[in-house]
Amino acid sequence: MNNISYLIYILSFVIGSVMGLVLSYKKYTAPFVTKNIDLVALILAIVGWILAINSQLISAFVSPVITITVGIFLIAMVLGMRPGYGRYETVIGFAISALIWVGTVLI
Amino acid sequence: MNLMTNILINVIIAFFIGSLLFGLQRKIMARIQGRPGPPIIQHILHTFKFFIKESAFPYTAAMPFYIAITAMLSMIWVAAVIVGPVTGGSLLLIFGIYAVHKIVEHNAGSSSGSPYGKLSCVRAVYSAAAEIPLFAVLVIIYFKTGTMNITGLINYQTVHGPLLYAIPLAALMFFVLIMSKAPYSPFAITKGKDIVSGYETEHFGLLRGYLMMSESIAWYMLLWVFLTVFLGPISIPVYLIGMIVMSSIIAFINATTPLLNPNHSIMMQVTFAFIGIVGSFALLMI
Repeated sequence: MNNISYLIYILSFVIGSVMGLVLSYKKYTAPFVTKNIDLVALILAIVGWILAINSQLISAFVSPVITITVGIFLIAMVLGMRPGYGRYETVIGFAISALIWVGTVLI
Repeated sequence: MNLMTNILINVIIAFFIGSLLFGLQRKIMARIQGRPGPPIIQHILHTFKFFIKESAFPYTAAMPFYIAITAMLSMIWVAAVIVGPVTGGSLLLIFGIYAVHKIVEHNAGSSSGSPYGKLSCVRAVYSAAAEIPLFAVLVIIYFKTGTMNITGLINYQTVHGPLLYAIPLAALMFFVLIMSKAPYSPFAITKGKDIVSGYETEHFGLLRGYLMMSESIAWYMLLWVFLTVFLGPISIPVYLIGMIVMSSIIAFINATTPLLNPNHSIMMQVTFAFIGIVGSFALLMI
C-alpha cells in the first residue's frame, strides 16, 4: 500500500506538471520578463502546499492519500509552468504552508 | 502484495523518479549556467515522445542484434529493480547487471554501424577498465560486514550505524561510479557530446524510447543502491530526499566541469579507485 501511495503521488506530480506547462503556454505568450505574481497560480500554490504538508488537519474527514495527491497535483501545476512563471507563487505557498505546519505541529 | 504487482509498481516508480531526477539535473545545470532550462518533466516528455515517433532502421545496422540490445538493456535494469527494492537480494547481482550494462553500451554502439556509435563502443570498453574497479567497493563492504546481501546490509547498519561513516572512501568510489553514468558528467565519455549521443545516436523512435526508459531506471537504481548500502534502513521520503540531494550535487559538478577526454577520464577514475581501495583497506586494518 505504501508503494502504491507513492506511485499515485508521483503520477499526480507528473500529470500536474504537464497540465501546468500546457495551460501556462496558452495563458502566457511571452517569456517571464514582467515578474508579476499570478493570482490564480498563487491561490493554487497556497492550497496545494497546505493540502500536501498539512493533510493531518483534515485527516478526520478525508484520507491523507487523497489530500496529499490533490496537493501535489496543484503544487506541480504551479511549479511546472513555463520557465520563470510560478516561481514566486511556489515560494509564497510553501512559506505559508510551512508556517501553518510549524504552528499546528511543532507549537 | 502479489510479487508481479510489486515488481510492476517498483519499475514504474523507478522510471518516473529516475526521469524526474534527470530533469531536475538539467534544470539545476541550466540555472547554474544562467539559462532558464527545460521543465523538470522534460526527460519524461522526451521519452514518451520517442514512443510515438517513427522507428527507422539504418542500412548499416546489424540485425537482429541492433533491436535485441535495447530489449536487453531494459531487461537488465528491470532485473536490478527485482534484485534491489523488491527482493533485497545480492549486491553481486547488481554488479553483474552493471557489467552487462557496459557490454550493452559497447554492443549498442557497434550494432548500429554509425561511426559515432563505434567510437562510443570503444569508449565503453575503455571506461569499463576504470568503472569496474570502482565496484571493488563490494569487496570492501564484504570485509566490513561479512555479507553481500542487501537485506543483510540493512540489518547490519540497523545495529552498527551507517556504513558511510565506517567506510567513507568506499562511498566516495561508488559516488564516482554513479557520476560516470550521469549525462553531461566529466566521466560520461560514452555519451559525450563530441560523439553526438554516443551509442544511442543511431537508435530512433521506439528503440530510443526503451533506451531512455532503461537509463532512467538505471539512474534510480544506482542511487537506490548507494543510499541503501551506505545509509541503511531509511524510509521512502528519506530515499527521495537523498536522491534529490545526490542528483543536485552531481548536477552542480556537471555544470561546472568540462567533459574530460577519455584518457583523463579513465586515469582520474583509476586514481579514485586506487585511493579508495588502498585507503579503505588501510582503514579496515586500523
